[in-house]
Formats: sequence, C-alpha cells, structure tokens
Amino acid sequence: MNPNLRKLILPAVLVGVLLIVVAVIYFVQPEHSLPSFFPGHASATSAEANHHHTKHGIAALVVALACFAFAWFQTGPKSGPTESRA
Amino acid sequence: MHVLAVVNPISYFQAVILGLVQGVAEPFPISSLGHGVVLPRLAGWNIHQNDKFFLTFLVATHLATAIVLLGLFFKDWVRIVKGLWRSLAIREIRDDDVDARLGWLLVAGTIPVGVIGLLLETPLRKLFASPQTAAAFLIVNGLSLLVFERLRQRPPRPGDYLGDSDERIAKLSWRQAIAVGTSQVAALVPGISRSGFSMGGGLLVGLSNEDAARYGFLLATPVILAAAALKLPELLGPEGNGVRGPALVAGVCAAFTTFFAVKFLLRYFQTNRLTPFGIYCVGFGSICTLLFAFGG
Repeated sequence: MNPNLRKLILPAVLVGVLLIVVAVIYFVQPEHSLPSFFPGHASATSAEANHHHTKHGIAALVVALACFAFAWFQTGPKSGPTESRA
Repeated sequence: MHVLAVVNPISYFQAVILGLVQGVAEPFPISSLGHGVVLPRLAGWNIHQNDKFFLTFLVATHLATAIVLLGLFFKDWVRIVKGLWRSLAIREIRDDDVDARLGWLLVAGTIPVGVIGLLLETPLRKLFASPQTAAAFLIVNGLSLLVFERLRQRPPRPGDYLGDSDERIAKLSWRQAIAVGTSQVAALVPGISRSGFSMGGGLLVGLSNEDAARYGFLLATPVILAAAALKLPELLGPEGNGVRGPALVAGVCAAFTTFFAVKFLLRYFQTNRLTPFGIYCVGFGSICTLLFAFGG
C-alpha cells in the first residue's frame, strides 16, 4: 500500500460526500433553480427552465462512489508485493 | 369517441434493416452510430438521428445488444462480480486475484466514459449527427484503426490466444486500463467506433487483438446497458407510442446479429487484425462523403 495514497483517504471521503450533495441538488432542483456556478444552470426564462439535469446527478453520484471505493481500499491492510499498481 | 390514428414513423422493414445493421455494427469496429446516421440518408428514408422517435427506437436495439453481450459473457461477469465483492470484503485488490483485479480495471475504465458520456452525449450528438459529418468521421475511424495496427506494441504471435485471456488483461496497470476505457469517449461522435477505439487502445498498451477485443466487449457491456436503461422509460412512456412494435422487431434482429458478430469476432481476432475494418471504414466513408457531396 502506498503511504502517500493513505493521506488521500479523508479528502476522498470529503469529495465523495460533496458530490453526493451535488447529485441530490441535480436530482431535486430544476435547471433554473440550480446554483449559477453549476454546469447546466439556466435562467428562469429559458425554454427548458423546468428540466431536471438527472444525468448530471448520476455522473456526480458515480464519481462520488469512485471516491468512496478509493478511500475504502486505502484503509485496507498493508499488502507488500500484492499492492495495486496505481 | 375520438380515435387517434397511430402512424408508425418507422416501418417494420426499416426496423429489420436498422436492427440487423445495429447488431453487426455495434461489436464490429465500424461505428453503429455512424451507420445509423448514414444508412437512412443513403436509403432515402425520412429518419434523422436527432428525431425523438428515432432516439427512442434505438433504445431497444442498444438494449438488445447489451443483453446479448451480457449473456455471452455471463459466466465471466459472475466471476468478476464475485471478485469485486471479495476485494471489497478484504479491502484489498490482490494482484493474484484475477477476477477482482479485472473487475476493478473495468470499473476504472468505465467511469470516465460513463461520466463524460452522461454530460456530453446529447450536445455532441446534436453537433455531429449529420450524415455528412458521420461519413467524414467514418473515414477518421478507419484511418485510426490502421494507425492503431501500425503503432501497436507487439505484432500477433502464434499461440496468442492460448492460455487465460483474463490473466493477461488483468496485468494492465490502472493508467492503461483507464486510458483504454477513456478512449471510448471518442465514440460519442457518430462515425467513431467504441469497440474500435477500445480495441485500438488495447493494442497500444500491449494486448493482443483477441485480448483487446475481449476487454473491449467487457468494457462495452455496462456502458451500453446503462445508456439503454437510462432511456428505457422513454420507450415505455408516451414517447414510445407508434415505435414500440418496430423497436421490438429491431431489437430481436439486433440481438440475432450481435450474437453471431461477437462469436465471429472473438474467433477472428485470434489470428487477424483490425486492418480490414479500417479499410472498409475509409472506403465506405469516402463513398458516402462523395455521394452526399455530389448526389444531393
């Protein structure tokens, strides 16, 4: 296990949680209600203002799960020669 | 009482042709999306890639392709999923656990294309989904396949297909697996083949044609299945009215040809290369480009 990667456990978990929040916002908020710095935000007058960016939410969820999986494996046992080749 | 006449925007004959072509073109490295855009124009059909009904119709063919791929590699997927759970339980991906390592390499290779596909699929399709553009990118796809063969790390050797393919694939590094998986992003452009770029990527990182094809099919299954599953509600909802019958027929046809196409390719790549597909794409793309330019 690379000790440098172990230092990334907490950041990975934090990023994962943040992305879960982002995913929930994408799922529940229509396009015009998204924070303006979110990709996909549109003004209330646009044609698809009430459209939900479900795909953006799924993308955020997938990356969040990847962050959690990364953190999970970094908490594993030190394994010497069988360590991953990341 | 009002009776609404439901007119099928796609005939059953068109559905059969489109299904058969999709089933072959998805696993073959020749771009199913590119053929799906070019074919209706060549045949003079009033179907456009961005038509809502056509997108809904395509869900069925993609779903059929994904189900056949899943079925053909079902035993492998069972092993891989078991490997994934095993590694999660011990919080370690052991190098000697081929199934677990292969599973996580597939996950790592799928995430980039999944995320980028979710974010960019619609805008890219709207931007590039004209028959002229698809024909041009078919040429690019063909040239890329020829370049992949030219730049491959190792030539085919006798006995390449002997032994355990998964063991060889599982020796890829994380970077290599992610790079091969990410190469599928190019296939968001109609005319560029997902399987072609994943196989080509596999060749560039040192896999044999057969191993690259196998890894490409394993990579493709979750991507195609997820894409089809995401759009399945459209087929089952009001947007599927008038399309479900032809879509079902096309799905059956696509399943039929996908089965034989994958079986053929797995044998073909034991001893052969991507070159004929590259030549075909350059030739077909060039002919289509000329026809669209001068034939109206």
